[in-house]
Amino acid sequence: MVENNDMELSEAEAEQYDRQIRLWGLESQKRLRASKVLIIGLTGLGAEIAKNIILSGVKSVCLLDNEKLRETDLYSQFLSPPDKVGENRAEASLQRAKALNPMVEVTTETKSVDDLPDSFFTQFDIVCATGLKQEQLERINNACRDSNKKFLCGDVWGVFGYMFADLVDHEYSEEIVQHKAVKRGPDDTAKNPCEKVTINVKRRAIYVPLQNALSADWSKPELRSRLRRGDPSYFVMKILLRFRDENNRNPDPSKRKADTEILLRMRDEIVKELNLPNGFVSDALLTDVFGIVSGVAAVLGGVIAQEVVKAVSQREPPHNNMFFFNPIKCVGFVELYGQ
Amino acid sequence: MVARVAGVFDEKLTEAIANSKVLVVGAGGIGCEILKNLVLTGFPNIEIIDLDTIDVSNLNRQFLFHKEHVGKSKAQVAKDSALSFNPNVNIVAHHDSVISNDYGVSYFKQFNIVMNALDNRVARNHVNRICLAANVPLIETGTAGYAGQIELIKKGLTQCYECQPKAPQKSFPGCTIRNTPSEPIHCIVWAKHLFNQLFGEEDPDQDVSPDTADPEAAGEAGASAMTSKETDAGNVERKSTRMWAAETDYDPQKLFSKLFGDDIRYLLSMENLWKKRRPPTPLTWDNLPGKDDTPTQHSGLPDQRVWSVYECAQVFATCCKSLQADLKGRPEGDHLVWDKDEKSAMDFVTACANIRAHIFNIQLKSRFEIKSMAGNIIPAIATANAIVAGIAVLRAQSILKGDIETCTSVYLRPKVNHRGQLFVPERTLTAPNPKCYVCAPKPEVALACNLKSLTLKDLNTALKEGLNMQAPDATVEGKGLVVLSSEPGETDHNNDKTLEEIGLNDGCALMVDDFLQNYEVRVRLQQEDEEKAWRLVTDVDEPMPAPKEQKPTNGANGNNEPKPGPSRPKDDDSDSDMEIIEEDDGVPTAKAPKRRRTEMTDEVVELC
Repeated sequence: MVENNDMELSEAEAEQYDRQIRLWGLESQKRLRASKVLIIGLTGLGAEIAKNIILSGVKSVCLLDNEKLRETDLYSQFLSPPDKVGENRAEASLQRAKALNPMVEVTTETKSVDDLPDSFFTQFDIVCATGLKQEQLERINNACRDSNKKFLCGDVWGVFGYMFADLVDHEYSEEIVQHKAVKRGPDDTAKNPCEKVTINVKRRAIYVPLQNALSADWSKPELRSRLRRGDPSYFVMKILLRFRDENNRNPDPSKRKADTEILLRMRDEIVKELNLPNGFVSDALLTDVFGIVSGVAAVLGGVIAQEVVKAVSQREPPHNNMFFFNPIKCVGFVELYGQ
Repeated sequence: MVARVAGVFDEKLTEAIANSKVLVVGAGGIGCEILKNLVLTGFPNIEIIDLDTIDVSNLNRQFLFHKEHVGKSKAQVAKDSALSFNPNVNIVAHHDSVISNDYGVSYFKQFNIVMNALDNRVARNHVNRICLAANVPLIETGTAGYAGQIELIKKGLTQCYECQPKAPQKSFPGCTIRNTPSEPIHCIVWAKHLFNQLFGEEDPDQDVSPDTADPEAAGEAGASAMTSKETDAGNVERKSTRMWAAETDYDPQKLFSKLFGDDIRYLLSMENLWKKRRPPTPLTWDNLPGKDDTPTQHSGLPDQRVWSVYECAQVFATCCKSLQADLKGRPEGDHLVWDKDEKSAMDFVTACANIRAHIFNIQLKSRFEIKSMAGNIIPAIATANAIVAGIAVLRAQSILKGDIETCTSVYLRPKVNHRGQLFVPERTLTAPNPKCYVCAPKPEVALACNLKSLTLKDLNTALKEGLNMQAPDATVEGKGLVVLSSEPGETDHNNDKTLEEIGLNDGCALMVDDFLQNYEVRVRLQQEDEEKAWRLVTDVDEPMPAPKEQKPTNGANGNNEPKPGPSRPKDDDSDSDMEIIEEDDGVPTAKAPKRRRTEMTDEVVELC
C-alpha cells in the first residue's frame, strides 16, 4: 500500500497538476507522488503506459527491458528516437521519458526478468508487465502477491488488446453522488429542488492471481452462460498468449500469412479444448493481430495507466480483473475471471 | 513513407493511409495525442491548426509540450515534437484560428478526413458547417475528466453536430445576481461583473448595483425606497460605477462602503424581497469578522484555505490598487480583461464573491473552488485524452479502409456500465435529423419575434447567437433586397430600424447565408406580439436555443476568456473538450439512442 506522505505539494506541483487535482483531489495526488512504479517492456504499449504515469506525477518509474530497439518498434514507440535502433529499448527511452516530467525520477533496468530476483519486483508499489510469457507473468504476479504489492499486465497485438489486474486485497474510496431535496428560497422555480451531494464510501475489492484468471473453467455453467454474450476476446487473448509461449515471439507482420495459419490452428485447438461453439472465434479477429497499432497502444496504455492511478491513489473502483478491447465492435469491457 | 511497416495493416489500408491527407483542428490534450498516433502510424500528410499558446497547466497531459515551451505556439511545438517521432511525415502547423477566411471550404476539401480536438461550441459549429459544405468526413472528439466521446459526422450519412438542440447555457436572472443571491455562484458572477464595471469593458447588462426594477420588489416598499433614494444616493446611481470609482481614486474603503454597505442597505429598503428570505447584513470597513482570528493550521494547497471576511477585505483593498495601476498604465480607452490566471483579477473576484456571500449568509469558498467556477475549468487528464484520441485514429483508419458505415459513436464512460462496458459503441449510425437547420437539404427555421420592435441589429444578433453564424448576409426571398450585409458599413445605417419599418411582415422569408461557413438557411419571420426579443422555431417544435438577452460574461466558451486584442473565442486547447454523454445501453431499438449531451459553458445572465 502506498503511504500517503504528508509533505505539502510545492507551488510548481500544484500548478502543473492543477487540472487533475481538480478531478481526483489533493489526497490522491499526494499518494501518487509517493508511489514507485515498474514498467516492464518498452514497446509501444510500455511507452504509452510510461507516458501517462510519468505525466500523472508519481514518485518514480523504472523502465525494464532487456531487448534492443527495432525498426518495427518505431511505429508505436515514441519514447525512443529513430537513431537509437539497436540500443537497449529502456535506455533508448530514458531521455524522452524524463523530459515528460522532470519532477518524476525515471530509471532503467536492462536485465531480463528471469535474471532478477523476486525482491527486485517487490521494491515497487505496483508492477505493469507487457510482452512477457505466461510463466514469467505468473512468477512476477505471485512474487508481488506474496509481498502485498499490486500487479497489472497487458498486451497489444495489432488492433487487439487486453489488461489483467491483481490488486490483491484492495481498499479504496468511491465518490457517490446523491440527490438531496432542498428548498433554496422563493427564487427556486425548479420542480423538485434538489442538490447533488457527493459522499465518499469506503470499499474493498478482493482479487485473484493471474493463473486463476487464465485457467478459468469454461465447463462451469456461470462461464458457459457468458458465451451467450458472444464476445470472444478472452479466447483471442488465450490464443495470442499461447502463440507467444510456443514461438518465443509475437505474430510477425513480415510473416503475416504463415503466422495467420498458426494462429488459426491454435484457435481450433482452444475451441476444442474449451468446447466452444464452432465459429465463436471468427477468423476476422485473428487477421489484424500483427505488430502494435499506435491507436490501440494509446487506448490500452490509457486504460492501464488509469488503473495504476486508481490503484495507488486508492480512489474510485478499479477494474476487476480483466479488460478487453474488441476492435471489431470498438467496445472496451471488463469481466471477472477465475473467482 | 508508407504506413510504416508492411504486414501490420492489409494492403488496402496501407495504401489508403499512404495517400491520405488529414487535418487536425486543435493541438491541446486530444490534439497532441491524435497527432502522435497519426505520425507513428505513418499518415504522410497532416496539417494542424491551433491559435493557442502553451500554459503550465497543460503540461499534465499535453505531452508534446515541456516547461521550456510555455508561451509558445501549440501547433508549432506539437509539429516539432511529433516530427522527432517520425521525420518522414509532412506536417504543416498553423498558429491561427480555424474561424477565418483562410480556412474555407476549398481548404477543407483537400483533406480526406478532418479530426476535431476542440474545446468550445463556436469552433465546433463552424468546423461542422465547413465539413458539411466540403463533404469531408469529420471525426468529432471530446473529454471531460474521466469521460469522453468520439463521433463521426458525414453529410447525408450521420447527424451533424447541430442536428440535436444543445442544452442551453446555464443562466441566472439578473435580479438574482444583483438583489437576491442565494448560492456561491451568484456571488461569483456578481464579482466578475464588478471587475468589468471597475476595470474591464463596461457592459450595461452587467450592472452590479441594486435592481430597482425587480418585479418582486414592486409595491409600496419598493416605491418608497426609490423616492428616498432620489434624495440621497440618487446621483450616484445614475453615474456609472466606473466613473464614480475613478472619482474616488479607487479608494478601497469608499468602494467597500458603497458596495458592501450602502448598496446592501438600499436592498434592505426593498422590503418585499425579504419577506420570505433572510435579509442581508451590511458590512462596515472598521468592523469586519475575522479580524482577530488566530491563524489555524491549514492542510492542503494554500489556495484551498477559505479566507476570513477580514482577509477578503484586505485582499480587496490590495487588488483595487494594483488593478487601478494596471488600468492606468494602459492607453486611454483600453481596459482590463478578466483572466482566471491573472493573480490580482482572480484574487479580486475571490475576495468580492466571498464578502458578498458573507453578507447574504452564503457559504464562503476557497480561491481554488472559486477559480473552478469563475474560470469554468473542466478537469482534464492524460489517460482519457489518450483513449479518445486512440479510438479517433482507429475510426479514421476505418474510414480510409472504406468501412465508414461501421464508425458509430463511441462513449468512454467514467465507470463501467451495467454490462461491464467502459467504451460503449452505439449500434448504428444516427441518421441526420431531416429538420436540422444546418444539414437538411434545404435548411429552414422560423424566427418568432415582434416585427414592430425587433431591429436589424437585433436580427444580426439573432442570426449570430441563435444560428451560430459568423458573418451573416440576409436578403429578402424573392426580392433580392439586401437587409443585412457582412461587409462592414454596408447596411449599418439601417441598424436601428425595425423589421416592419424596412417592409418585412409576418410570413416573409429571408435567405441568410454565411460565406465563411458556406451555409445558407431560409428564415421565415413569424409575428408574435408578445415576444420581447426573439426565438427560433423549427418545424419539429424542438426547443431552440433561447436568445441571450445579455452577453455572457468573460469566457463564454468554457475556459476561453477572451485575451486582450481583437476578441474572438479561442478555438483550441482541449483542456475542456466537452460534450459528455450517457448512453442508455438497454435493448437495441431502431430509434435514435438516448443520449444526453452536456456542455460546460460560462454563465449567461438574463434580465428578469
